[in-house]
Amino acid sequence: MSLRLWFIALSHTALGQFMQNSKWGFAIVETFHLIALAVLGGCILLLDLRLLGFVLKDESAVALSRGLHRLFLGSLIVMVFSGIAMVSEEALKCFASPAFRWKMALLAVAVGFYFTVHRRALKSVAKGTATLQSRTAAAVSLILWLGVGVAGRAIGLI
Amino acid sequence: MPLLQQLCQLLYDSRIGTLIRESDYAFSIIESVHVLGITLLIGTIALLDLRMLGLTLRHLSVTRIARAVLPLTWTGFVVMFVSGFLLFWAEAAKNYTNPAFRTKLVLLLLVGLNPLVFHTTIYRRVHEWELLTISPWRARVAAIASLTLWTGIIAAGRAIAYF
Repeated sequence: MSLRLWFIALSHTALGQFMQNSKWGFAIVETFHLIALAVLGGCILLLDLRLLGFVLKDESAVALSRGLHRLFLGSLIVMVFSGIAMVSEEALKCFASPAFRWKMALLAVAVGFYFTVHRRALKSVAKGTATLQSRTAAAVSLILWLGVGVAGRAIGLI
Repeated sequence: MPLLQQLCQLLYDSRIGTLIRESDYAFSIIESVHVLGITLLIGTIALLDLRMLGLTLRHLSVTRIARAVLPLTWTGFVVMFVSGFLLFWAEAAKNYTNPAFRTKLVLLLLVGLNPLVFHTTIYRRVHEWELLTISPWRARVAAIASLTLWTGIIAAGRAIAYF
């Protein structure tokens, strides 16, 4: 089945029908999306600033990431589900939108990066100060997540 | 017309207000900055609130986290205030009568009072409880109030566009 048909199917689900017919559905779901964005962004910001050596320098970076992991995953899950609900309201528009495609691609790279290179960088600075490797990982991570946000905002514009 | 409404109309009709409103991209770009500022301001505040509730970073003391995030929170505050004011500038006359906007201002006032009360009461003795995995009930009440109010502010802010 082609990808386009999946989007059409999503818009025909009960969720899609509800989102398309309700006046406040989109605004309420988007509010949840934004609240989770705040928490997810806060987690990433703190971790990346630690990798850059700006905050909590004498704390273990691994312990920090372990402490934030559940919050990170929890907010990511809220973002994904509220995101699917928003897509179901205008599935075909999203499918055709270059901003949406960019956002999904950047999101995939950002999440992949978080669980691989980023995680290794956190381990490499477990106790010590920032290294060139950890600073690079932090910069790439910040740019990727910022890109996800900017592309996401652009979905409503182009 | 009430004085405040006249003031809003004045801002609305001003050159800068009109420029932002009538430009193809200005409003959307400022709005994007405003939304990304949420991460800096509310994201860092939420981390501290969730720490006091014992839901994250239990191994770090409350003051350690507070000190680490404070510069970010203030940066976020400046970003939100400046971008928010520019958005208001462009829409002031419409915002004046907008129920969501009015709700948002009341909630912002309340969320400003919360740290004033918090810092003059239970936080003064923070050194007695900063290491506890779950903070004393008065700190938890402040944390829940903060999380609830900020959630309301995001919801009201989003709803402005719907009136």
